[in-house]
This record gives sequence, C-alpha cells and structure tokens, in this order.
Amino acid sequence: MGLEVDIIFKIAGVGIVVAFLHTILDQVGKKEYAQWVTLFGFIYILFMVASIVDNLFQKIKSVFLFQG
Amino acid sequence: MVKVIGAILIILATSWIGFEASRHLSERPRQLRQLKSALQSLDAEIMYGHTPLHEAARRLSAQLSNPLASFFSSFSNRLTETETTVRDAWEDSLKEIWSKTALKQGEFEIMKQFGETLGRHDRISQQKQIMLALAHLEREVNDAHEKQAKYERMAKSFGFLSGLLIIILLI
Repeated sequence: MGLEVDIIFKIAGVGIVVAFLHTILDQVGKKEYAQWVTLFGFIYILFMVASIVDNLFQKIKSVFLFQG
Repeated sequence: MVKVIGAILIILATSWIGFEASRHLSERPRQLRQLKSALQSLDAEIMYGHTPLHEAARRLSAQLSNPLASFFSSFSNRLTETETTVRDAWEDSLKEIWSKTALKQGEFEIMKQFGETLGRHDRISQQKQIMLALAHLEREVNDAHEKQAKYERMAKSFGFLSGLLIIILLI
C-alpha cells in the first residue's frame, strides 16, 4: 500500500510542475512548446498508470484463474 | 540522505542555469547602451577634438567599463604597436572581445561594418557613418529590451521548474 501512495504523490507532483511549465510557456507565447511539455508529461504518467493496471490484472488472473 | 543531497544539487544546478540565462538577457541592453555612448564619445572626439584615432580609443577605454574598455584599449594598442590597417585592427579587437560580451551576431555585423568605414572619410562623412551605426544599434537596443521583458522571468522559473521535474522523475 505504501508504494501506491508514493505513486499517487509522484503523479500529483508531475502534474503540478507540468501545469506550471505550461502556464509559463503560454505566457511567453510559445504555445507549441507548452503543448509538447503537457503531452510528454501526460504520456509519462499514462505509462506509469498502465504498469500499475497491468499489475492489477496479473493479480486478478492469479486469484481467479489459479495461474502463477 | 544521499537522495536529498542529490536532489538539492540538481535544483541548485538548474536554477543556476536559469539565473545565468536571465542575467545574460538583462546584460545585453546595458552593454548596447554603453556601446552607443562609446560611439557618441568617439563622434565628439573626432568632430570637436580632432583627436587621432588611437588617442581617441585610449581616452574611450579610460571612460568606459569592461568589456568595452578592453576592446578600445586593445584597438588602440594594435594601432600604435603593430603594422596594420584600421579595419583589421578594429575587426581583430572585436573578435577578441566578443565572447566576453552578452552581445549577439547582429551587433557584431553592425560594428564590423562601422569599422570598415572608420578612418577612410573626412569628418562629415565619418559623422554620418557614426550616426548610421547608432541608428542600427538603437534598433538592436529595442529588440534587446523586448527580449528581456519577454524572457527574463521565464528563464528563472523555467530553470527551477525543470530541476523540480527531473527530481520527481528520478525519485
């Protein structure tokens, strides 16, 4: 459970920093860079969440289908 | 413990990069203004003082502060001590000093072209050339001010935030 909370905080941190970067780049007028930064942050978090969900499915499989 | 020290080091490094970039941005208009006042003094020395060029350059280097002072003093030294043309001496001194300034390629071209006209005309044409160089520099000053207002704060916060992002990604 400790690991899960850690990952939630990590996602929140990435979100806050990426949001700040987006606002600053937007103010300066570099809209395209701002969008790239947001996109990369989103993809990174998506991969993290995907690996956690993968873990969950493996666990469900091992409980209900009796596989190792 | 090691992690915390590493995180602090990363934050310090990236913030330092950001502050250095913003200092570079705020240094450019200051040095451009100095360059303009140097050309104006040169104009005064030529028009009213009838000073020879190496003497005028030496006086200018005494008036100004670094890095422009060392530019004019090396220009004056080149003129007095070596067999060279004014144009070559001007250009060599420019190249020698340029990496120490916060100025950009545009100003370098303006100064180079100005150096090519230096000492080849009578006083009235020389004054016109100085006025032309001053007008070009004025345009660059406006450009530098615009860039400073736009990017100075961004550079600072960008450095800090990118450091924060790297730390979060690495932990």
